[in-house]
Amino acid sequence: MSFRSVFVAVVLGTALLVGAFLVNGYRPRVVTEQPTADLIRASGKCAECHANLHYSVVHEYELSRHAKKGVNCLECHQPARGQAPLDHHGFTIAQRLTAANCRTCHEPVYQQFLRSRHAAPSWAAVHGKADFTEEQVRFAEGFHPGGVDRPANPLVELEGKPAAVSGCVSCHAVGKPNKEDGTIGTCTACHTRHTASVEVARQPRTCGQCHMGPDHSQIEIYEESKHGVLFEAQHKLMDLSVEPKRLTTREMFVPTCATCHMSGLNGMNVTHDPSERLSYNLFAEITTPRPHAARAQAAMRDLCRNCHTQPTIDRVYDQAEKVVAATNDKVKAVKDLVDGLRKDGLLGKKPFEKPIDFAYFDLWHYYGRTSKHGAFMGGADFVQWHGNYPILKSAVEIRAMADELRREHGK
Amino acid sequence: MASKWYLRPPAWLEAFALVNLGFLAPDIYLAHATNLFHHAAEYVPFYFSLAAPALLAAAAVAAWRGAARRGRWLGLLVGWGAVAVGVAGLVLHLRSRFFYEATLESLVYTAPFAAPLAYTGLGLLLIMNRMVDPEGVEWPLWVLFLALGGFVGNFIFSLADHAQNAFFRPSEWVPVAASAFAVSFLLAPFLFRVTRSYVTICAAVMGVQVVVGGLGFYYHTAANLSGRSASWFDNFVYGTPALAPLLFPNLALLAFIGLWSLRLHLPEALAAGDAAAATPRSLT
Repeated sequence: MSFRSVFVAVVLGTALLVGAFLVNGYRPRVVTEQPTADLIRASGKCAECHANLHYSVVHEYELSRHAKKGVNCLECHQPARGQAPLDHHGFTIAQRLTAANCRTCHEPVYQQFLRSRHAAPSWAAVHGKADFTEEQVRFAEGFHPGGVDRPANPLVELEGKPAAVSGCVSCHAVGKPNKEDGTIGTCTACHTRHTASVEVARQPRTCGQCHMGPDHSQIEIYEESKHGVLFEAQHKLMDLSVEPKRLTTREMFVPTCATCHMSGLNGMNVTHDPSERLSYNLFAEITTPRPHAARAQAAMRDLCRNCHTQPTIDRVYDQAEKVVAATNDKVKAVKDLVDGLRKDGLLGKKPFEKPIDFAYFDLWHYYGRTSKHGAFMGGADFVQWHGNYPILKSAVEIRAMADELRREHGK
Repeated sequence: MASKWYLRPPAWLEAFALVNLGFLAPDIYLAHATNLFHHAAEYVPFYFSLAAPALLAAAAVAAWRGAARRGRWLGLLVGWGAVAVGVAGLVLHLRSRFFYEATLESLVYTAPFAAPLAYTGLGLLLIMNRMVDPEGVEWPLWVLFLALGGFVGNFIFSLADHAQNAFFRPSEWVPVAASAFAVSFLLAPFLFRVTRSYVTICAAVMGVQVVVGGLGFYYHTAANLSGRSASWFDNFVYGTPALAPLLFPNLALLAFIGLWSLRLHLPEALAAGDAAAATPRSLT
């Protein structure tokens, strides 16, 4: 027997085995050092099918910070506590992702979000408090009195479910209660799903998905403002992808919505409660200061000081507060008129029965809000032509309608 | 050549190809079910695996009844068909991801690119069995060479498949090591002139493959039986490939056929100066 054959066979076999170890050693640690076999498989197996079925989903994920940090598909898609499991080609996943899935890693962020008007008050603005637990209502009311413990919006019933589902809910679902897991809302409304992007969330257009139109025309006002003009001109020079706690005016020297309302610019606190720096309930029929208004305004003024001098900040606040007061006066005058008609039985008991109901609703809900938002956000045209002018015109028309009603009814 | 069919290695080789092609039908069905037969082409190997054994059986019957020419052509038809299915499968599997990314990761997670070569190997066996003289030394060497190719595939398979699991359990390295030594021991006869003793050692190495494959089948099946899916079928389709470890005893069987035949052509011991010469003098 030739020993040479045996020797060479053993050497070759060993070489092959060592080669296998070496090749395996080149695999990324984010793949090989996952805590469970399922997470390891998910790091490549999911993309094997989904790259063929929904390439964009995989590609968007690959661009994400999640991918760079080795967070794989299953980490987000596995069922969180309370979520129903779904068999999915050898994996157990959640049927629908909610804030419960994100909070497993981002709990402080979720808690900030929970305190915001994006959470429960957003959904309650459409459907009232019916879908929330008592605990959720109590919690939200602590931050936004009357924001959740309220009836459903009467327009939902009047316009019908299809309009509400495809219209109102599309935006207001940002605060939808997730009954199966007990959380509220979804982070993907702003961060998108597979990009899970801070950069996307900082884009004005992201906020503008919902904060647009005549009832909350923030994106239009921003685009008119100097902030918006500068962003349009210089956004390619900015870096919106910087980690929130490290963001400075060097990367974001022009503000977007997120900069002023949420970002931790130059070492400030980051918040996922966009109300945290807001001092007035501008959305309301008659604007009142928010709870903790002084602290909120101080925080916003601190933020402004990153780019503006104190006199400028004082002037903006002074002018805006005067617009708020004036708008309140104008709305209140018409409100008293309409309330008087209702008290005298000249209007129906239900809302939106008479043309004057709509006229008054437009006055405060469209023009009043626009005027006040325009004043705080530097949208001159929105203070004037989309705000105060229609308020004036509408007030005259409503008075004429009121006179007509009183004449008709002899009151 | 012995007169009894069961004493003739070519008959066993034909049976080996027939059984393997038939066995590939359920195997391919399970494998492509993971992809929900997304592409129509995924049905081709399934239907081919259903038809091929019948054609090979017909070829065997024809040969047994004296129509050797018909049996030869039927076998060649199946053989070339299997080669085509295998090569096309290799290209299509790589095309599913690897050709776009050309990375190590995509090679790990692409459809198992070496798997379709099982068809090519079986096809080549059938063709070889009809083109090479079974009485000569070339015949067993070709059988061993194709078994060697199969074990190269097993080595790549067990490495890539268990890499998907990041070798979560150290025991997942066992089939990699086993197939590495199967490759090296089957390679030696092509590098050196070997003796019957070496064939005995090779047979022992192949015996180890049988054990490794059996254990693999047990562990894969046990993992699937305790799988997380509610459906038993889903656990087998999307879980560990239960049938894959059986490739080890399967290829060992092929190697046994080759070693059995080769042994008849080898001396008990080598003459002085013979050791450096490779066995396959006629394998040209």
